[in-house]
Amino acid sequence: MAPRSTGYWFTAPALTLMAIILLLPVLIAAGLSFTDYSLGNQSANWVGAENYEKIVSRSTYQKMFTASIIYVLVVVPVSVVLGLGAALLINSLSFGGDLYKTIFFLPVMAALLAMAIVWEFALHNSVGIVNEMFQAGCGTIIEWVFNWGWIPFVDGSQTWYGRNCASQEFPLWLRDRNYALATICFIGIWQAFGFNMVLYLAGLTSIPRELLQAAEMDGAKSAWERFRLVIWPMLGPTTVFVVTITSIRSFQVFDTIEALTQGGPSKSTYVMMYAIYEKAIQQNLMGIGAAITIVFLGFVLVITFMQRYLVERRVHYS
Amino acid sequence: MNRIHYLGESWKHLILILGSMIVILPFYVMVSFSLKSPGQIERNEGGFFGTENSMVDERCVKLREPDRNAIAAARDRFEGLDDTQIYRALLAEIETDCSMHPIVYNYSKAFSEAPLLRYLMNGVIVTVSIFVIQVIVALPCAYALAKLRFRGRGFVFGMVIFCLLIPVHAIALPLYIMLAKVGLTNTYAALIIPWTISVFGIFLMRQFFMTVPDDLIDAARMDGMSEFWIVWKVMLPTAIPALLAFAIFSVVAHWNDYFWPRIVVTGNRDLFTPPLGLREFKGDADGSFFGPMMATATIIVMPLIVAFLLAQRRFIEGITLSGMK
Repeated sequence: MAPRSTGYWFTAPALTLMAIILLLPVLIAAGLSFTDYSLGNQSANWVGAENYEKIVSRSTYQKMFTASIIYVLVVVPVSVVLGLGAALLINSLSFGGDLYKTIFFLPVMAALLAMAIVWEFALHNSVGIVNEMFQAGCGTIIEWVFNWGWIPFVDGSQTWYGRNCASQEFPLWLRDRNYALATICFIGIWQAFGFNMVLYLAGLTSIPRELLQAAEMDGAKSAWERFRLVIWPMLGPTTVFVVTITSIRSFQVFDTIEALTQGGPSKSTYVMMYAIYEKAIQQNLMGIGAAITIVFLGFVLVITFMQRYLVERRVHYS
Repeated sequence: MNRIHYLGESWKHLILILGSMIVILPFYVMVSFSLKSPGQIERNEGGFFGTENSMVDERCVKLREPDRNAIAAARDRFEGLDDTQIYRALLAEIETDCSMHPIVYNYSKAFSEAPLLRYLMNGVIVTVSIFVIQVIVALPCAYALAKLRFRGRGFVFGMVIFCLLIPVHAIALPLYIMLAKVGLTNTYAALIIPWTISVFGIFLMRQFFMTVPDDLIDAARMDGMSEFWIVWKVMLPTAIPALLAFAIFSVVAHWNDYFWPRIVVTGNRDLFTPPLGLREFKGDADGSFFGPMMATATIIVMPLIVAFLLAQRRFIEGITLSGMK
């Protein structure tokens, strides 16, 4: 039997580091968020809840919350649905599935900063391949398909593609206030959905084949019925996890913003992590940065507790 | 039956191929730009590989542009020519000197314009140090939590679970202040310290050690092995598969990390990690540098992509580790 003290010796380094690197900073942030501290000053003044009041009232921070929340509300559902869709399609293929899986996983491996810069080139107005392709599609069958004019009651010349083709002008994407956040979201989805797909593929393999066969015999003839009655409920735990981790990661989006838009144009992509970086690191306003940090941690905690709640409820029912 | 089956499958392939094209697009742009001359990039021609076999490096020509002295010195070489003609002849010589294949241009510029080799080395130093320290800290702790009885074990495990909630990026600001207070910003230590503790690693290894039979440890104890050596000589070897997955998880995350290095490394190029180096490159690049910049991006991204393509199953296992709780 090992001496009792061994346990302490073995856990002491980890415990110390946890306290200093993870817990102490949270306390420091909480403390500083009530001050006007800046680095280099010997002391700081207690300003009460002023920083939080600013966060709630000033329009800059309202734009910050808007940008962050829109980003999360777009990236999470779309990348989860795309991940699930890709997983279901790949899983039902008789050949070639592994190839698609490899391709869709590539963005997860690549440094997001590097790929963000590449996307900027692809979306560039003069050398960019994206606008060039849109332009090349004008007046061909591609325009006919994507101006959706073939759908009844849709006027092809009034849809996005139709209008842009008519004027021969395509958006500046990252430089245009109306498109910048959408473009950043697109890059986020591009990067994240392969990860979700892989988790869903793992979830799908754990569904017993007998269950699907039984459902079929019981009358769930169509693929949609089997999905609704068997696959979707069985994937519940995977979905809860995928949604949680994607949400937490999307809240932390930074690389694309810093490299491509710096929060602009007119603060339309001013997300929380970038706000912390700009206020605290660049402008040395530690108090307000700390307050945003605390609000940020609050969001993360809420998401995680929601996950725990959902997971536990599921365990209870099954 | 079979034909209908394949017909039914073709629409799936169509969707997936379209999706694959969008996913691959930036990789295509990146590699293609790194192979082409500035002119062909600007004009969007030359297909994927570019069609020019040699291009003139404008900067190189500009730097070596013949001045009065050079023309005077070259007079005996070009007898019977006036100064303008000598100038033209010299310029032509320099241009042939400065011309090279676009690939050579882009990739040599990537290494010569910025100390890319240094950045890559920094990346290796930081990611390897982080992983090694994470293991040194996590393994004994995980072993104690899984296999030793001591008072407060529940408390320590509770701490681990609680700390799993805190994303390190979110507390970057107070960490930065702490490091600044002890004068550690702009050091390797600053790049490494916040990541030395991986509660996730502890959690993962603890779960793994729970499955190791107690008999194995008892046998080692009978042989007179100390607890310290049990961790490193008995438990570590059994944990290799889990450690490998964790290594991939950790290395990928920190090789690609941009946020934390951006915060603690300001200006000191000697400490730049690969993403910081690329960002710096973008900051002071003009149009003619798209090629070298994309070459830099390719060099930074490729090691992990190639490793992934070689050992896909392991990588997917490692990256999605956090999903296997």
